[in-house]
Amino acid sequence: MSRVQAMSGTHDRGDDAAAYVLGALEPAEAEQFRAHLDQCPVCRDEVAALERTAGALPMAAPQHPVPKPLRRRVVREVRADARGRRAASQLVRPRPSIGRARGALLIGGAAAAIALAVLGGIQLSSSSTSRVIRAQVSGISGSALLRVSGGRGELVVRDLSSPPPGKIYEVWLKRATGAPLPTQVLFSVTRTGGGYVGLPGDLNRFREVLVTPEPAGGSLVPTHTPVIVVRLS
Amino acid sequence: MIMRSAAAGRAAGRAWSHIVQLFRSTKSPAHDLRALGDEDLMELAGGGDARAFEVVFDRHAGVAFSLAYRICGSRTRAEEVVQEAFLSLWRGGARYDRARGSVRSWVLSTTRNRAIDTLRRELASTSRDVYDERFAEQLPSPLETAQEAERRDDVRRVRSALGELPQDQRRVIELAYFGGFSHTQIADMLGLPAGTVKGRMRLGLSKLRLLLGDAPGVLG
Repeated sequence: MSRVQAMSGTHDRGDDAAAYVLGALEPAEAEQFRAHLDQCPVCRDEVAALERTAGALPMAAPQHPVPKPLRRRVVREVRADARGRRAASQLVRPRPSIGRARGALLIGGAAAAIALAVLGGIQLSSSSTSRVIRAQVSGISGSALLRVSGGRGELVVRDLSSPPPGKIYEVWLKRATGAPLPTQVLFSVTRTGGGYVGLPGDLNRFREVLVTPEPAGGSLVPTHTPVIVVRLS
Repeated sequence: MIMRSAAAGRAAGRAWSHIVQLFRSTKSPAHDLRALGDEDLMELAGGGDARAFEVVFDRHAGVAFSLAYRICGSRTRAEEVVQEAFLSLWRGGARYDRARGSVRSWVLSTTRNRAIDTLRRELASTSRDVYDERFAEQLPSPLETAQEAERRDDVRRVRSALGELPQDQRRVIELAYFGGFSHTQIADMLGLPAGTVKGRMRLGLSKLRLLLGDAPGVLG
């Protein structure tokens, strides 16, 4: 069928569309219809509308509560998997290239910052609300979200390109004026481009969160334009 | 302070681990996460946030389990199907593509496909009867939790709309969707031309579409 026929409405494959969304076409027919969908906006619209309707059919089944053992199994597996992922991509590290004394200070600083964040989290958890800000990602693939709760931030990256060889991602905090301030947060990503880092300090005092690729030990001033920018206000 | 001994290093390591653990234990408070939409939760889950994924599970597992139970006719099989469906969503979360549909539709279509596969495997060596008791089952089970109680209106509305369809249209839709039969199998079972079966599917779905309108809770 030509696109002209499709656009003029002279073809009718609505029966196939209905059988398709119900999963009732034979495999070869379904394959053929999928190829047709690539070329036919009329059928694409029809399928989209019918899929929405078919999506309500599960509600016609007798409804049962989720068995508690099922929930326990899924939660146990997911939490164990999450722990494994965190262990595999432990993200917060001291900066070996900055020297032992400074490294120790940074560890202490990080501990203090996180301890403050913990205290802040406890104080705020009952009253604060969180907001999720989508980051701008430039020059690399992937996406990032920053969740801010009570001034505390967590950066989540997804499908992010790995840093170039010999480099690591470094997080910076920027006020309304002045140069970005380095944090002790250095991270890489998992094989699938995932990553999750907690940011120390109170984000209410800053205007932007930036991420740049830096030499493995981190830098005190950015050496690269930001690949992730989160505007906090 | 620079650590000078192994014991001091171990002590510092334990303290550090404890602080990190405390930090982690306070992230993703459920009351925050429940305010997020499914797509944002999946974004967090893709980054390894188990609590975000648990909110997605709690939102959709009830309907998914009910659907799997209806298709498989076995509580044990239904639990296996739903567990596999959600774990595949968790493990493939980074590949979840919001442009291709809602999280709910992804969960339900995955659950249905797995349940139909399970059903076909189990029934491969036995003849399938159009009057299978599973298709006649309409016994509502008690809804126990508050979350499931919220589904009652949607359930009532969809059942009412299905009930308004002519019997011949409703039957072909149920046999296809819950039974996993193809239109040619249904035609054989009912002694009808294949074109008639597809026509009834279309008429039935179109009428259902009109009856349900754009109800967001039902069609979400």
